[in-house]
Amino acid sequence: MKLSFAFDNFRLLYAGIATFMWIVSLILSAEYMKHYERKGRYFFFTLFTYFATLGVFLSGDLYTMFIFFEAMSLASYVWVAFDEREESLRAAGTYLAVSVIGGLIMLMGLFLLYDAVLEVMGNIANPLDVSNLALLYGTSDILGDPGLPHRIWAAGICMLIGFGAKAGAFPIHIWLPKAHPVAPAPASALLSGILTKTGILGILMLSRYIFAPVSRNDDMWAAIILIIGVCTMALGAILALFSVNIKRTLACSSVSQIGFILTGIGTADLCTDELAISGSLLHMVGHSLFKLILFSVAGVIFMNIHKLDLNDIRGFGRRKPLLNAIFLCAALGIAGIPGLNGYISKTLIHEGIAHLRMYTALLNSSGIETILSYDVVTVIEWVFLISGGCTLAYMLKLYICVFIEKNTDSELQAVYDEHRDYMNPFTGGALVVSATVIPVLGLTSGYSLKGVVDMCADSLRIDTTAEYYLEHFFTWECLKGGLISIAIGLIIYFGIIRICMMNDDRTEYIDLWPKWMDLENAVYRPVILYAIPFVLTVICRFFDNLVDALICLLRDGIFKDSKQQEELAEGNRFTYILGVIAGRLSRLKRRILKAKGRTVGKPVNYVHRFAMDYESFKESRTLIFRSMSFGLMLFCLGLVLTVVYIFITRLW
Amino acid sequence: MKLLTVLPLQFHMDPLGAIFAVLTLVIFISSGVFSLDYMKEEKNKRSFAVFFVLSMFTELALCAASNLVTFYLCYELLTVMSMPLVIHERSAEAKMAALKYLFFSLFGAYGALFGIYNLARFASSLDFVLGGNLGSDVFAANKGLLLAVAMAMILGFGVKAGMWPMHAWLPTAHPIAPSPASAALSAVIVKAGVLGIIRSLWYVYGADKLRGTWVQDVFMILALITVLMGSMLAFMEPVLKKRLAYSTVSQVSYILFGLAVSFGQSCSVNDTGLKYASDALTGAILHVLAHGFIKAALFLIAGAIIHHTGATRVEDMRGIGLKMPITMTCYTIVSLGLIGIPPTGGFISKWYLATGALASDIPVFEYLGPAILLVSALLTAGYLLQLMIIGFFPGMAFRQSVQDKELKAEPGMLMTVPIATLTLLSLLMGLFPEPVIELIRQVFI
Repeated sequence: MKLSFAFDNFRLLYAGIATFMWIVSLILSAEYMKHYERKGRYFFFTLFTYFATLGVFLSGDLYTMFIFFEAMSLASYVWVAFDEREESLRAAGTYLAVSVIGGLIMLMGLFLLYDAVLEVMGNIANPLDVSNLALLYGTSDILGDPGLPHRIWAAGICMLIGFGAKAGAFPIHIWLPKAHPVAPAPASALLSGILTKTGILGILMLSRYIFAPVSRNDDMWAAIILIIGVCTMALGAILALFSVNIKRTLACSSVSQIGFILTGIGTADLCTDELAISGSLLHMVGHSLFKLILFSVAGVIFMNIHKLDLNDIRGFGRRKPLLNAIFLCAALGIAGIPGLNGYISKTLIHEGIAHLRMYTALLNSSGIETILSYDVVTVIEWVFLISGGCTLAYMLKLYICVFIEKNTDSELQAVYDEHRDYMNPFTGGALVVSATVIPVLGLTSGYSLKGVVDMCADSLRIDTTAEYYLEHFFTWECLKGGLISIAIGLIIYFGIIRICMMNDDRTEYIDLWPKWMDLENAVYRPVILYAIPFVLTVICRFFDNLVDALICLLRDGIFKDSKQQEELAEGNRFTYILGVIAGRLSRLKRRILKAKGRTVGKPVNYVHRFAMDYESFKESRTLIFRSMSFGLMLFCLGLVLTVVYIFITRLW
Repeated sequence: MKLLTVLPLQFHMDPLGAIFAVLTLVIFISSGVFSLDYMKEEKNKRSFAVFFVLSMFTELALCAASNLVTFYLCYELLTVMSMPLVIHERSAEAKMAALKYLFFSLFGAYGALFGIYNLARFASSLDFVLGGNLGSDVFAANKGLLLAVAMAMILGFGVKAGMWPMHAWLPTAHPIAPSPASAALSAVIVKAGVLGIIRSLWYVYGADKLRGTWVQDVFMILALITVLMGSMLAFMEPVLKKRLAYSTVSQVSYILFGLAVSFGQSCSVNDTGLKYASDALTGAILHVLAHGFIKAALFLIAGAIIHHTGATRVEDMRGIGLKMPITMTCYTIVSLGLIGIPPTGGFISKWYLATGALASDIPVFEYLGPAILLVSALLTAGYLLQLMIIGFFPGMAFRQSVQDKELKAEPGMLMTVPIATLTLLSLLMGLFPEPVIELIRQVFI
């Protein structure tokens, strides 16, 4: 396997965006990191991540992409863990775990895909090149064995998990609202603006090539992406409403916007729609820009007052027209206000969903079942509009809090008002340039944004000759969707945020962050850190100790060491046992006597006494035996003499 | 070279032996250099040095052996020569560990010996010839017995490779040896078992005969159990060197799994008609090298940490990255390699092992194998990255509690250079794998 790179327009565009973002981020970092220790580590890994990210965007096949993807994931760990506070390390741990697990699952997908390609196409030069893969799924049921489409599906799902984890798609978005707020702000901007897009890039490759509309014979894949997208979009939006920490709001907003992009991709695949995919592409580009600016502004606030809580930073932006304008541009852009580029991209996605609704209605009315029924698509459309409204609502919440309202502490407000020197000209310049792009793109959308889509059409297989291709950006129909969203947003802001999420006299934003809804603490951590290891450890310990236990058992059983005869120090076995028994008895007797209150003498060592008795017995026995035998000998001798005497006297 | 006529002792260095021999030399030399500093204050230096060098030469002879009898002799000799390294401390624990090592190894060697006797009876010769000396008619006539023979040899040589169920000596014996010896034991001497299996099955028996037999199934199951068990126990193990020993148990079985799936598929043919070793077999040999370099580096790093801070448990090593930045940077790189994260040697070997397993089309195992390899990789990440994290990111509380001055404890050149060399080798294998892969692919033709 060799590395291969491709330089098509879409890849070059994103490489360019990445470079631009890194430049802005580095300019901000230079000021932001001024008072930090261990700057070297930060800048080294920022550059490392840059090259890895470039590698991801310019990779020519999935193998190369995977290699750079892993390098990027691991290098960006340093950003999250950078300041080494407890919560940073915890968030970084989650980030690393998600990266590693996601990476390994993706690797499994790559293995399966590689195997499938080899089976269908034999030994070809670059098996994991996406253009090869485009043919794979469509031909798999003809060329390979019957199980092959299932294997390609399994590969696709594995890779979707891997890319989805990086993109922050539900239900693996858990790391994102934790990791982004704790990283230094310039790094958060990159994490949120560009690293999540690498995941989207992967999902685009899967959806537009392997499971592409032109080569598919089922809608399952598109439906999965669409459902994931809708869940992510809604969940992120709701979480962002609850948050009272500026960076956390922005991170949740990222989750939600990624959901918008995925919804667009899913919609486009489901009804072969060119509008939704164009919208997704433009929203990707737009979101990179918005998040770069928004996180940078959060960074500017943090480097001045070292606080992120809305109640603390409230009123910081007053009398700072430049910061105000920059933030407003991005906030309105992401909220989809007409005239800015966010409006165009969201409208395109919405148009795509509307098309899908009409398409589904048409199919259903002619009796054809669709994978998502008409009602479901209608619900999706409304979820889309409400999520769009939420975007406006939480952006208004941030904007009004930071730039319009006064801080409840009027002394602090006076200090904030005096802050003139809140960022150096370089940071200011970089942010102004980034912010100007938003209205420029929005106002010249007919040329610029259409140009972007035209440029990337080949890479993303957008059919530029299609009927609906980017015709009406500003028709009343489109504006209606946008206006509904804006109306919903205003209702949510004034109806819910101002009333339910602030205390009664509007002096404080209440932290309603739903801790119990945290999937990580409720499910992932207990399962991965405790439940699975516990079960596996029990099993593995059993396997581990099997042979050792067997050996121990054998040594206690048939290979038992024969017991060594112990030599008694004195006496023999009989006296020893007798002595022990007597000793016990006497001890019992003494205890009874003691219990009765009688005085008892010294205890006697019966073993010793009996042994001594035995010794003396043995001694006297020996004496006796010896004397007896001597006597017997003399007796015998006398007897012999007597007999001899008798013989002599009688014979002669 | 033929030494005797009665008992034919023959030596001939073929490419496979050369690969193992190069690994042996690199690791023994770098561990040897490391030990110059490490062993300075130890007792029994002389006996350590003598047996260390003897082990190296025995291993080299093992690599060069060109028939099974010679191989067996060197194999037994290697056990005996490396035992004094385990017993080095002369403590009761070390003695028990060494005895365990000796008994397990001897038990395994007898299993192999049973195989050798039977092969001597059935095969035309015991010389190493790729493809084997066992005629297929003889095999067909005595299939039952010969399959049992193959199993006995796998189990017997598997003892040295730390394959379940006879792995228990490894986590006992490796950590108790001094670190340079642990490095040599874990990185090279266990590979003698791998070489034993390759030599006996591919060069005498003919591994193609085992395709689809129960021997292959059992071998794969044992290897996979070992892979999972080793990493799981390493994950739960708090003592660094013991953790690394369990990791060896797991990683060597990656190699064994690669061997098991390539029975009957030693070679593939590419579109130009060139034969080359199959992916699984290539991956297995690549992993022999990658794991060798990485595990040696890891044990040397553990040794450097023990030597300079006295810490043996992972949780006592908080902030170690600030004390020994060079050593711990090497640790991070080789850890990523062992997990199988690009661009290190471990990733390349794992890629070949997994794609090879998938290409083998063995039912169930073609998917189960790669899946277990990845679960094990995840556990590897769990047990290796923990030290990296607490080493480089000890937390604010730790940073405030220590003074900067007491931080520096970087080991000297004699320690860092071998570690860095091994790290570099593992990294180079990942960055420029083609020459090595080409070399390995020529071996099994």
